[in-house]
Amino acid sequence: MRRLRGIAAAPGVAAAPPYRLAFDAGPGGARLDLDAAVEVAVAQLDALAARLAAAGRPDEGAIFDAQALLAQDEELLGAARTSVAAGEGVDAAVVAAGEEAATMLAALDDETLAARAADVRDVAARIARAARGEAPPRLERPSVLVAADVAPSITAELDRSLLAGIALEGGSRTSHAAILARALGIPAVVGIPGLLAAVEGAGELIVDGTSGEVIVEPDAAARGHAIAAGDAHRAQLARDLALATQPLALAGGHRLVLAANIGSPEEAARAVAAGAEAVGLFRTEFAFLERAAAPDEATQAAAYASVLRTLGPRPVVMRLLDVGGDKPLPYLPMPVEANPFLGVRAIRLVHAHREIMATQLRAILRASRAAGVAEPRIMAPMVADLADLREVRGLLDEALAATGGDGVAPRLGIMVEVPSAVLVADQLAREAAFFSVGTNDLTQYLLAADRTNPALAERQDPLHPAVLRAIARVVAAAGAGGIEVAVCGEMGGDPAGALLLAGLGVDELSMDAGAFGGVKRALAGVTLAEARSLAGAALELDDAAAVRRLVGVRVGTA
Amino acid sequence: MPCVTVTVRNPSGLHARPAATFVKAAAAYATDVRITNLTRDAARSASAKSILGVMGLGVSQGHELQIEADGEDAERAVAELAALVEGGLGESLPA
Repeated sequence: MRRLRGIAAAPGVAAAPPYRLAFDAGPGGARLDLDAAVEVAVAQLDALAARLAAAGRPDEGAIFDAQALLAQDEELLGAARTSVAAGEGVDAAVVAAGEEAATMLAALDDETLAARAADVRDVAARIARAARGEAPPRLERPSVLVAADVAPSITAELDRSLLAGIALEGGSRTSHAAILARALGIPAVVGIPGLLAAVEGAGELIVDGTSGEVIVEPDAAARGHAIAAGDAHRAQLARDLALATQPLALAGGHRLVLAANIGSPEEAARAVAAGAEAVGLFRTEFAFLERAAAPDEATQAAAYASVLRTLGPRPVVMRLLDVGGDKPLPYLPMPVEANPFLGVRAIRLVHAHREIMATQLRAILRASRAAGVAEPRIMAPMVADLADLREVRGLLDEALAATGGDGVAPRLGIMVEVPSAVLVADQLAREAAFFSVGTNDLTQYLLAADRTNPALAERQDPLHPAVLRAIARVVAAAGAGGIEVAVCGEMGGDPAGALLLAGLGVDELSMDAGAFGGVKRALAGVTLAEARSLAGAALELDDAAAVRRLVGVRVGTA
Repeated sequence: MPCVTVTVRNPSGLHARPAATFVKAAAAYATDVRITNLTRDAARSASAKSILGVMGLGVSQGHELQIEADGEDAERAVAELAALVEGGLGESLPA
């Protein structure tokens, strides 16, 4: 028995005989010329991409889609053609051309592009194998794939049901093989010095992708331990999967809408994968950042529509541009303010920069129509009173008239974060379509504690009874007005905060998708009656620390 | 000669997937389309129809990309490709 240490690249444990990756010439494999070899390689890659897409893994499929494009790239093939014309063999010529291109990419001093260099070598090697008439590798029994490094297309091409684990002498956590192994749920350890020599002639291998250990010729105890660890890992995966498809509910069945906060197309896809039922906060700023000029209506519409399509039928609350002196945009000149959080920000920009907001509203309406969203939910940030809400309503009506409406009937709600909005919530509830409490800013404004000042960090806890009382007041006003209340601040993603919000009668919790699991677990252990009495008691406590102690007992964090 | 400059906002820049989307779109035009990464090296351009050429420009998030074309549908090609880049090249859209 011999233990080797590498980099844990994909979790899980597997015990199986090693399969040393090598290519065999297929029986009677005929040598092909460059164009025919390219054709075979492209057909293999297209089939691979289609298979992954059909298996519900379109992101991985896209890697091979891009490889198929590379295989037909004239810059790559042109170099190979020149060498072939000069008398070199097709396989050597294409490998050399691929190596040259890969070196060029790797020299760009960019981590992502260095990984793309592996794609180019992979494609060149595939064309070379086709030119030599070689068949792709095949597994005959459950095995641990052992190699110096492995091309991503090989990992995906091998029969998944027989691929027990992966052990590589080279590679890193971010190499394609590692990413694919994680996506496929195959335990993998990479970057293991001396692996190939140690495995030579070995009959069995344990790959522990959680700890990063590989054991060659394990004894009975090590094998037993590995099998138990592998079973435990699979059971945990099954539990996580079951949780992902479960709704957000209290013990006894009272449901809350589980929503995600997103700020980019990538996060939209992640929210869908994590099982979000809605998006409670779509931060539209991403369309405005890192630009020299304001995005025009068509550009914004395309960006929003792409996110809306990703989210399909899920309700999406799109928040209007929320910028201010603390995060200025180069094309939106803002005077320097002594207190940007109390300054001209969010909808208050409507006076100085009316066209920016008007353009965004038109873009949202156009994107909604394009994505088939009949009732887009639009949220105005920093609304202090009815005058603010009516100002935005007026702009929205103008945008509707300008875009022709076309069956799109927007619902305009507000972000409740300014203390005055809490105090006049009863008035606002008559004209707003929904409330969403932004607990981060509400906490800073209620407690007069600058979020950006680390010396006041302890005063930033939304579990403070003053914040809880504000939320209770907002919930009551919404109930009287017949509208729904969501919470889209950090508080909703904190198990203790989520429990209190459920007890206060909030309808929807919107949070980073990564917080779903913890919040679901916290709520599942408490009934609605318990949550209500907990929230009622919290309202009467002295400070945030006391509330944390009270609730922490119930969510296991005290 | 039609020419426009856009900023690439994709988090991973113009690499494998967004690059593939861009190259496929560029291949649909009759005209030759050249692109230049003004942020990295304004003196070096590549064919927009070559994925290797596009990736070789090392376009990262925030880089300024110049798109130019010279031919019968050049105006349309430049405008549409610029809009495609501005729109995020379909990243994260379900396939």
